[in-house]
Amino acid sequence: MEVFQADVAIVGAGGAGLRAAIAVAETDPKLKIALISKVYPMRSHTVAAEGGAAGVTRTDDSLDYHFDDTVHGGDWLCEQDVVEYFVAHAHEELVQMEHWGCPWSRNDDGHVNVRAFGGMKIERTWFAADKSGFHMLHTLFQTSIKYPSIKRFDEYFCTDLMVEDGRCQGVLAIQIATGEFTLIEAKAVIIATGGAGRVFRENTNGGIVTGDGMALAYRHGVPLRDMEFMQYHPTCMPGTGLLFTEACRGEGGFLLNKDGYRYLQDYGLGPAEPTPRNKAMELGPRDRLSQAFWHEKKKGRTIEGPHGAVVNLDLRHLGAAKLHERLPLICELAEEFLGVDPAHTPIPVLPAVHYTMGGITADGKTAAPLPGLYSVGECSSVGIHGANRLGSNSLTELIVFGKVAGVEAAKFAKSMAISNPGAIKKQAEAAQARALGVVTRSDGKERLAVLRTEMAQSMEDGCGIYRLQADMQATCDKLRELRERYKNLKIDDHSKVYNTEWLLGIELGYLLEVAEAIIYSALNRKESRGSHQRLDGYEKRDDVNFLKHSLAYYTGDGAPRIEYGEVKITKSKPGTRAYGAAGEKAAAEEREREGAGNG
Amino acid sequence: MSNRRPYVRSMDGWWKRDAYFIRYMAREVTAVFVAAYAIVLLFGLVRLAQGEAAFNGWLQYLKTPWMLVFHLIVLGTFVYHTWSWFNIMPKTMPIMFVGGKRVQPGTITGSGIAAAVVACLAVLLIVKGMHP
Amino acid sequence: MADAEKIIEIEVLRYRPEQDKEPVLQTYKVPFTDDMSVLQGLQYIKDYLDGTVSFRWSCRMAICGSCGMMIEGKPKLSCKTFLREYYPQGLRVEALAHLPIERDLVVDAADFVAKLERIKPYIIPKEARTLEQGEYLQTPQQRDMYEQFSSCINCMLCYAACPQYGLNPKFTGPGVLALLHRYNADSRDGGQDERMKLGYADEGFWGCTAVGYCSEVCPKGVDPANAINQNKMNSAINYFTRFVTPGRADK
Repeated sequence: MEVFQADVAIVGAGGAGLRAAIAVAETDPKLKIALISKVYPMRSHTVAAEGGAAGVTRTDDSLDYHFDDTVHGGDWLCEQDVVEYFVAHAHEELVQMEHWGCPWSRNDDGHVNVRAFGGMKIERTWFAADKSGFHMLHTLFQTSIKYPSIKRFDEYFCTDLMVEDGRCQGVLAIQIATGEFTLIEAKAVIIATGGAGRVFRENTNGGIVTGDGMALAYRHGVPLRDMEFMQYHPTCMPGTGLLFTEACRGEGGFLLNKDGYRYLQDYGLGPAEPTPRNKAMELGPRDRLSQAFWHEKKKGRTIEGPHGAVVNLDLRHLGAAKLHERLPLICELAEEFLGVDPAHTPIPVLPAVHYTMGGITADGKTAAPLPGLYSVGECSSVGIHGANRLGSNSLTELIVFGKVAGVEAAKFAKSMAISNPGAIKKQAEAAQARALGVVTRSDGKERLAVLRTEMAQSMEDGCGIYRLQADMQATCDKLRELRERYKNLKIDDHSKVYNTEWLLGIELGYLLEVAEAIIYSALNRKESRGSHQRLDGYEKRDDVNFLKHSLAYYTGDGAPRIEYGEVKITKSKPGTRAYGAAGEKAAAEEREREGAGNG
Repeated sequence: MSNRRPYVRSMDGWWKRDAYFIRYMAREVTAVFVAAYAIVLLFGLVRLAQGEAAFNGWLQYLKTPWMLVFHLIVLGTFVYHTWSWFNIMPKTMPIMFVGGKRVQPGTITGSGIAAAVVACLAVLLIVKGMHP
Repeated sequence: MADAEKIIEIEVLRYRPEQDKEPVLQTYKVPFTDDMSVLQGLQYIKDYLDGTVSFRWSCRMAICGSCGMMIEGKPKLSCKTFLREYYPQGLRVEALAHLPIERDLVVDAADFVAKLERIKPYIIPKEARTLEQGEYLQTPQQRDMYEQFSSCINCMLCYAACPQYGLNPKFTGPGVLALLHRYNADSRDGGQDERMKLGYADEGFWGCTAVGYCSEVCPKGVDPANAINQNKMNSAINYFTRFVTPGRADK
C-alpha cells in the first residue's frame, strides 16, 4: 500500500472540492493538499448545473431579500445565521469567479447580467448561458492548476475515512487504473462528494452521484441531517430524468396541462400573466411546482406519454433567437434526445429527483461533529437549504462554503500533527480487506443491477413528492431486505485494472445506507414541510414538534437512529409561505406590521 | 507492481479508415498537380527566354492530345483544390463581426469561391481581349 | 416503454490487460427501444449480460465528457448517439482512436490532462483587480471572441479525429490548443506571450495540417481547427517580426 502524507485531504473535485483546494493553497502555500476524485475533476456533476448562481447584485435588491427568499423557500428549516453569512458573501465569491475567467453572460455595458429564478423576489442569478455549472467547474479546475501545492489524485475511489484518536486523519483510496490502494494521511479531511440522487429511479443526476461521502461520514458516527428533504425538479425529461433548467421559466416559459392551460394558477401561484412575475406562477418554488404536477396528474389533466404522465414546457413565444442565445443547451437536449425544436413545439416534462437538501451535519464553518472532518457542497448540510432549496443557491454554496471549508481545514491542519501513524496503517489495512471483500468473493448470488433497481424503485414508491406512512414503512422493509441481500452480492469481474463493477458494488453499499437515512428520517417526520409532504394525517406544518433538524445516526446493521437538533432562528420567525398574488399580499401585511411595531 | 498495460493501436493505413481522411488526402494530393503545372509554366518561361521559335514549339507541344488530356485532369484537380481550400478557409481566420453580427463560415467560403470565379472570368476576358 | 422491444447486436472491442494480449471483439445481443442511447445499450450489457465490460460515463446529457468512444468508426459521445440509427445492421464500439486503451472502452487520458495543465489554462490578468473593485468589464462581443473555445468538455473526440496526434503523440492536439486560444482571446488576459512559447513550438500550432476533422466531430461546436489555424498566421507574423523588432529576437 502506498502512503501519501498531506496536510489537507479533499475527497471530491467538483465545484466545492476545487474551491476548497484553492482556498487551502491561498491560505498557506506550504500546506500539502491531496485532492482525491473518483473521476477527472471536469466530469464532476457540478458540470450539469444549468441555470446559474445567486448573489445580490442589482441596486434594487438587498441581502435581506435574498435572506428572506432563502429562509421562506426553505420553510424556516434553515440555519439563519449561516444564511446571513451566505448571502453576505455570495456576491464577492461570484466576482472572484469572474476574475478567474468564468464566462458569465454580460449586459451590453460589459457588466455581468442577472436573470430571474424560482422563488426569487429580484433577479440575482449570475449565469453563463445555460451552462453555468459547466463553466464554473472548468474555471475552477483550470484555475486550480495554477497552485503547485494541490496534488490531484484523479480517478482514485475513496473507500474509507481514517479516524484515530477521536479525529479524522486521512482516507483510503483505490487507484482505479491499477486497482491498488493508497493511504492518504491528512491532518484535516474535507468531504465534497456531492449528493445522493441516484438512490431514486427517475433523477437528473449523473451516475457518479451516489452519496459516497455521506455514507463514509455516517459510518463513522457523524449524523446525516435533514435527509428526508429531497428536491424534485419540476421540469425534467421523461424517461431519462435529464434537467431542463429553471431558467427556461426565468426567461418566460409556461407550464401547460393537456388543455394548454397554465394550471399553476389553480395552486395558489396565480394570477397568470403573459410575462414572468417573480415568485409567481412558473417562478414559484420547486417543491410547490412539483406538487402541483402531482395534483394535475390525479385530476387526469396531464398528457399521457411513452414514459407516463407529462405536462408541456412551452418556450415557443420566446423565439428562436432568444432561445439559442440564452438556452442553447436546452435546445440541444430537446432536439437531440426528444426530437423537439423548442422554438416550434412545447417540451414534454415531469418532475424528477434533483437535489439532496440534507447531508453531513456541519456547523456554519463546515466542521462536522468529528474533529478534523469538514464537508461542503451537496453532500453537506451546512444549513442554508432547509426543507426546500431555492434554485441557484447551490452553485453559490459551492464557492462561498468551499472557501470557508478550505480556510477552516487549513487552520485546523496547521494546529495538528498526525498522531499514531501505526494505528492508522492498521486501520487502512482493515479497510482495504473490507473493500477487497466485495471483489474477491466468487460465491455471491445477487446481481448488482437488480438490487440497485429495486432500491431506486422502492425509494420512488415510498419517498416521492407525497408520502404515506404505509408506503414509507414498506420502503424501510425493502431496504432492510436489500441490505441483507447485498451481503450476497455477485461480482463478475475479479480483475484489478479499471474494474468498474467493483466500484459499483462499493457504491451500492453507500447508496443503500444513505437511502435508509432518507426513508427513516421521512417516516419519523410527522408533518409536512417544504419538499416533505405527507397525506396521512400530517398535511400541515407542525412548528411545535418539528421545527427541528432530523439527525440520522448509523447503527451498523440495524435501522438508523433518528434524533432531532435545534434550528437556529435569528431574525425570521416562521410564517406562511405564500407566492403569487397571495405572497405579495402577505409581504405587504408583514411590512405594515413591522411598520406599526417600529412606530 | 501494477497490472496496467495500456495498448497502443497501430496507425498503419490510417487514411483509409474514414471518408473524411480520404478527402483530406485527396486535397493534399491535388497540391502535387498545382506544383506540376507550375513547373509546366516555368518551362514555358525558359522557352520564351530562348527565343520565339522555342516558345512557339512549347505552345505547339501544349496542343498535343496528350497535353490536352493532362490539362483537363489538372483543371479538375484545380477545381477540387480551390473548393477544398475555400472550404477550410473559415478555419484559418479569426472570428469577424460585420455590423455587430458574426460572419458565418458559409459566407467566408462562399465569398472565396465567388472571388475565384470572378478572377477566372476576368482573366478569360482579358486573354480574349488580347486575341480577338 | 410503449414500443415493442427489438434486439440489436453490439460488438464491443474488449481489452482486459490481465488476460488479453491484444484487443478482441465480443458481440452482445441487446433489447432496445427507439429512445435508447448507445450508452444505455452498454449499461444494459454491464447490468444484465456481462459485468466485466468497462466504460466511463456520468451525466448522460453530453456535458461531462466521459463517454466518448468510436461508434462504427466515428468518434462520438455514446450518451447522445442512439441505437435506432444502427438498426438492424448492428454497431461496433471501440475505445477512442489514437489514445492508448487502458481497458475495454476506457482510454488512458493522462497525456491529454498533462498537456492541458502545461498551457497555463487560467487567467493571467492584464491588470490586477481586487474583489472590491468588482468584475472586469467585458462586452458581449468581447465575450464572443472566446466563448466558443471555452465550451470544450474535454471529451477527447477531437484527439480521436486527429491523425496528426495519432502519428505524433507529442503534438499538443486540437482540444488543448483551442483552450490555449480561449485564454489568449479573453479580454481579461495578458498571458499571451507565456502561452505562445508552447503554441509556436513544433508540438504547437504547426503540428496541425488542417485536416479539419476535429471540428467536424466536436459535440459542442468548439471548432478547434479554427483556434489552431488562425494562430498559424500569428505565429508566422511573430516569426518575421522578431527579426525587425528591436529587443524581441530573444522571444
